[in-house]
Order: sequence, then C-alpha cells, then structure tokens
Amino acid sequence: MITHLVPEVFSISELFDIEGITEDPNIPFSLDAQTQKKETLHLYDTFDWRAWGKNTAIILSRNQLSLIDIDNGRKVSSFRFRRTPQSFFPEEVPDKKTRSSLQAFSKLRAFLRLGTVLTLEQSMRVLDRNVKTVATIELRSILSAPDKETKRFITLTPVRGFHKEFGKLTRHILNNPACAAKSTYRAFYTTLLSAASCKPESNGSKTSVKLSPENTILESARELLLSTLSVIHANETWIPKNIDTEFLHDYRVAIRRTRSILARLQGILPPEELLTYKQAFRGLGRRTNHLRDQDVYLLEADRFRKLLPPSMRDSLNPFFTDLRNSHKKELRSFSRHIASEKHRRFLQEWESFLKSDHPSDPDTTPDARCITSDIAVSSIRKAWKKVIRHGRASSPEATDTELHALRLDCKKLRYLLEFYSSLFPLKTLRRVVRQLKNLQDNLGLFVDLSIQQNYLDTYLSSLECEEESLRLAASIGGLLTALHHERETVRKEFHDRFEKFDRTETQTMFNELFKHYR
Amino acid sequence: MKTIALYSIKGGVGKTASAVNLAYLSSLAASPTLICDLDPQGASSFYFRIVADKKYSSKKFLKGNKKIYNNIKGTDFDNLDLLPADFSYRNLDLELREEKKPQKKLKNNIQELNTEYPYIFFDCPPNLTLLSESIFAASDVILVPLIPTTLSLRTFEQLLDFFKENKLDTGKIKGFFTMFERRKAMHRAVIEEYGNKSRFLHQVIPYNSEVEKMGIYRAPLNAVRPHAPASIAYRNLWKELQRELQA
Repeated sequence: MITHLVPEVFSISELFDIEGITEDPNIPFSLDAQTQKKETLHLYDTFDWRAWGKNTAIILSRNQLSLIDIDNGRKVSSFRFRRTPQSFFPEEVPDKKTRSSLQAFSKLRAFLRLGTVLTLEQSMRVLDRNVKTVATIELRSILSAPDKETKRFITLTPVRGFHKEFGKLTRHILNNPACAAKSTYRAFYTTLLSAASCKPESNGSKTSVKLSPENTILESARELLLSTLSVIHANETWIPKNIDTEFLHDYRVAIRRTRSILARLQGILPPEELLTYKQAFRGLGRRTNHLRDQDVYLLEADRFRKLLPPSMRDSLNPFFTDLRNSHKKELRSFSRHIASEKHRRFLQEWESFLKSDHPSDPDTTPDARCITSDIAVSSIRKAWKKVIRHGRASSPEATDTELHALRLDCKKLRYLLEFYSSLFPLKTLRRVVRQLKNLQDNLGLFVDLSIQQNYLDTYLSSLECEEESLRLAASIGGLLTALHHERETVRKEFHDRFEKFDRTETQTMFNELFKHYR
Repeated sequence: MKTIALYSIKGGVGKTASAVNLAYLSSLAASPTLICDLDPQGASSFYFRIVADKKYSSKKFLKGNKKIYNNIKGTDFDNLDLLPADFSYRNLDLELREEKKPQKKLKNNIQELNTEYPYIFFDCPPNLTLLSESIFAASDVILVPLIPTTLSLRTFEQLLDFFKENKLDTGKIKGFFTMFERRKAMHRAVIEEYGNKSRFLHQVIPYNSEVEKMGIYRAPLNAVRPHAPASIAYRNLWKELQRELQA
C-alpha cells in the first residue's frame, strides 16, 4: 500500500487571480504566500535523451536536483546539489536513490545541461482553520519562451489525508474556464524544453531510417548514408569537449556503418567515388583507434586494479597517468583534425555527393536501379552464410586470426540487419539479432581482451630498466596474466556459442525474414 | 520497518516531545516516518495542527491496516506523516478486551504499513494497560523517558518487573533521561549512577524552556530552533538510537 501524491497542473492566463481562493465562501482556507522570485531552471539529460525516453525530467534549481516523473509530475527523488555543472556523471551524485535512478538511464553517459530557462516563481501554502497546510500551490511563469509569450502554470500539490480540501481547490481553480484550464506536467515540461530550444530525441546514435522496399537501392543507400552522416556531425562537436566516452563511440559506430554500407555498393555507386570515400572513411576510423582503446582502458581502470592483489594495485598508477597523458595528446590531435579545413571540406563534399541527384550511369553503376528489398535479402543472406561458413571452418583451438575475422563477419551481418530493419517484421528481426548478439558478445570480449594484452605488452617493452619501474612492470605482468586467463576462458566458450547460433532454429528465423519478400 | 514506542507509566516526562522530535529527525534522512498518536489527549496531533476526521474513532483504529491507512495525514514536513488520535481512544482499553488476542492487535494492525514507512513511532498514553501490552508486542524498541528523580526510576523498575512477570523481552526497554537540570544535586547523582548502565541511552536531554514552547511553535524543535540545547541533544539521541536499532 503506497499512496503517491500526484499534483494537478493547470495552465492559466494573466487574468487568473489566486487570491480569489480566499474569497470563495465554499472554501474556508487562507493563503500563506511567499514573495515572488526569479528562478532559473537547468534542464539535464544525456546527449541522447535517455531520461526523457524513460519519462523522467531532471531539473536543477536553487541547489536542488530533482528527478520528476513526466507522466504525473511526482518527484521521484530530490537532493541538495550545490553545483551547476555543464555535465556530471551519476557516480558524482551523493544521494543513493538519485544515483541509482541515473545509472539506470545510463552508466557511461554524462548528464549534460541541455537547457536553461528563466522563470518567475511564487509558492504558497493553503491553510485550514488550524493553520495546518492542506495543499501547496506553485505559480510559475516561463519567461524565456521563444514566441515571446509568457506561459503560466499553476501546480497544486496535495497533502496526504486532505483529499477533500484538494478537490475543493481543484474545482475552484477550474471554476473560471476563461482563466484556467487543466493541463499536465508533460505539457509544462515540454514548454520548458521549447523555451530552452531543446528538441528531445534529436540526437540518437541509432539509424532509424524508414526505408521503402520498392525504392531503388541507390535511393535507400543515400538515405542511410545521410542519416549516419548526421550522427557523425552531431558527435563531432562534442568529442573535443571530452565529456563522456560515448560521443567517440557513437562516432566510430557511425563511421563503421558508413563503411559497411559503402562495402555493399559495388555497381551501385560510381567506382571511382566509391573507392575514394571508402579509403577516406577507413582513414578517419583509424585516426580514432588509439583514442578508443585508451577510453576503454580508462573506463576499466577500476576493474584492472581489482584483478591484482591489493599490494600491487598502487604500482599501476604510473601506467594510468601515462595513459591519461597520451589520451589528452591524442584527443588534441584528433580534435585538430576534425576542426581542419580539409576535414570540413571532405564532409561537405560527401554530403553534396549524397544529395546530388544526377542520374546514374548504367555502364559504371549497373545495379543502381535494383530495388531495395532484393538487395537487402541477398546481402543479408550472403553475410549470414559467410558467418556460418567461417565459423564451421574454424579449428578446434579457435585461433586468434579466426576469431578476429569471424567477429568482423558478425559485425557486418549485424549492421545489415540494422540498416534494413525497417523492411522486416520487427518481432522476427529482434529474435535474429538476439541470436547473433549472443555470439557477438563472446567474440567482442575476446578481441577486446586481445587488444588490451597487446597494448600492455607494448607498454611493457617501452619501460626503461630502472628500479622504480620494477613494481610497475611486475603489476603489468600480473595484469597480463589475469587478462590472458580471462581470454582463454572466453575462447573456450566460443564453440558452444557458435553451435547455439548455427542451429536449424536460427536458420528458420532467417528464412522467415527472407520469406517476407519472396 | 522499525517500530519505536515512547512510553512511560508516569505522565509529563517528555514522551510526546521526544516522539515528535525523534520522528522529525528520522524523516530528515528522507525515510518516510509515521507517528501514531495513541494518547486520547492527542498532544502530538496538536503539535502538528492535525485533527482526526469526524468519522475516525478507536473502532476504526482497531479494524486496522486499511482503516488506519486512510486516516493518516501528512504533516507540514516532508516525509513525516501522522495518524492522529481521537478522543474516543480513551475507550481503547475496554474495546481491546473484546478482541481476540488483544496483545497482538496493534502488531497485526500496522503490518501492511511496512512497505511505506521504514520508521514508525508510537506516542503512548501514560498508564500500564492492555493497550500498553499491545504496544510492547508491536515495538522493536520501547524508549522510556525519565526525569532523573527517584519517583521516575521507581516507575521504570515497575515496568521491568512487569516485563519479567509476564515473560516479555526486557531487552527492548531503553531508558533515557529528560529535563535534566545540572544545578540539582539529585539529577546529577541519578545520572552519575544510571547514565552508564546498558539499559540506558547515554545522551541526556537537558531541561530547556524551548521544549515547552513547542506548544506555541507547533512544530518539532529541530525545525524551528535547531540551535537550542534540547535540539542538539535530540540530534545526538537520534544518532545513538539509530546505532541501537542497527545493532
């Protein structure tokens, strides 16, 4: 039995007079009003609006950070937060309840101050004959509205056990329909967002392009590539700020997706351009490799330390200091690159190439007129068969090269499934992706552990023979051993995982997908 | 859910003041806290300016859970709710006698509240009756405020004897001293003798006229006079009590 006290929100006009409550003979209440004051509301969310996606508003005002359920305006949690940071991570939040709610939205993403709104606020208590508070009222005018029109809201919050009084007050407010109308917290919050010129869900990393199966593949490819380009653009502005690691991650995913679409466009795009762009995006992706590896290390710093016995943990510190320094350097050089004239021109050319609609030359691009669904089915089938073929051919020991190669095959298949997701029934597609993901998790972990081992190995050889590096070298050695064991466990699991994927059940699922366009 | 009774056979020892102040401090830690005012005088209800609904009575209280739940009122403080007392509570004892297993009545009646309130405080009437026995069974800790005088200590002994006779758990009983006046030799002597015993909490609440003024402020002392000596003492007492509850 938990009662939640849900406030009522009304939108009001300038004519609305709250003092009228005390003049109503049916309402034996008085008002205890605070003075009206200006209040700045800071709106927080992750770059990709995760809290909004879970119907939660994160608002900081007067040193109080509150999480509010957008559906009903109820405060989920609230605590004193003395800063007004540009961004913060859930770990920085001292309040346990808020922290775990924020972590449930995202563990890796920072919460950014996405908007700031100036409001005029007046709060008051409604008192009964015993001077007991029976409800609270908050009058709020949103001053920084883009259309210059001040929007006004009134929030009436009940006090437990005073429902009758709450009902009377609600009826009184609605008594004059010219001045007040029932509204919702969602409407209030959306007004705040638009006053701050925020558009939720405007920054996603996933391509959510709705393709039509009858369009030519050239049209569909252009649409997909433009959508990944928008992800590239969106993340580029944020990467140099070094706020969280997901900007770079999403950026890299967008590049890989672009490359994997390009790889399928033989005979669809003119060969010369295709080659140039393929190479250019490969180069761009490469430039981010070190940066991403370093990000992963720094994210895993805690786990790495815990792999070692407590006495060895502090010896790793110089390693992480070196890592942070080279990360800084790497980030600076990459930021310089994306700000360069050359890179800007490259993206502009790419965009105008995608947008240009001069007709395709049938000699160089014979397949450009193929319809999307045909290509979708044939390329998914091809990629799937390739995974099966390579997986079955892998030796009982499952060598590094085999697993690395298979990981790439799986990735390609996964991207294809994502690109063409709008063409297939969602339910079947999800089941296929789930099967594939299970295998990918194993391969991904294996490759990550391999890269980490290589990096540590190189780092170890770079250490100079000095006495102070002795403990550092020992702890790196310890870490290498621990990671090696982990990797071998993952390797042992591979055949099991692959067998689960290579089953008639999966085959039926794929066939079900393809059946859709037979 | 932890249940804490503020109980004494003797009146005027600071039960209500302690219940109100400790419950307020508990609510500050963001735990929803409930005070059940069980005294027909309704002093803690008065402190929070809360009057029970006209239809609420001891009969509803005895029906328990949902009936109790519907009559809980929010105080003017976040996370602090109160179940107001009604004057009909003066008949609670007679009515309890009609019930089956009256000693377990209160414990059963508040069972469903545990999902919402991690802390429940009982502000008890000053006597030793069937209702008191029901409170003893429902409480995890029975806090007994004592003025450092022989008469107070005597009632404390009486309570312990009662527990032993009825084979109740005397471990639940914790005494603490209130209205301590340093200038009085007897107060000093009593605290010297009993203050360190395991059945007593160490923190002593000094005599402070601000406590009496709670009737004017009609709010917990820590909310309006956080720097008053009694406010500080209650904060320390709450810390000590929390340690006690965790143990």
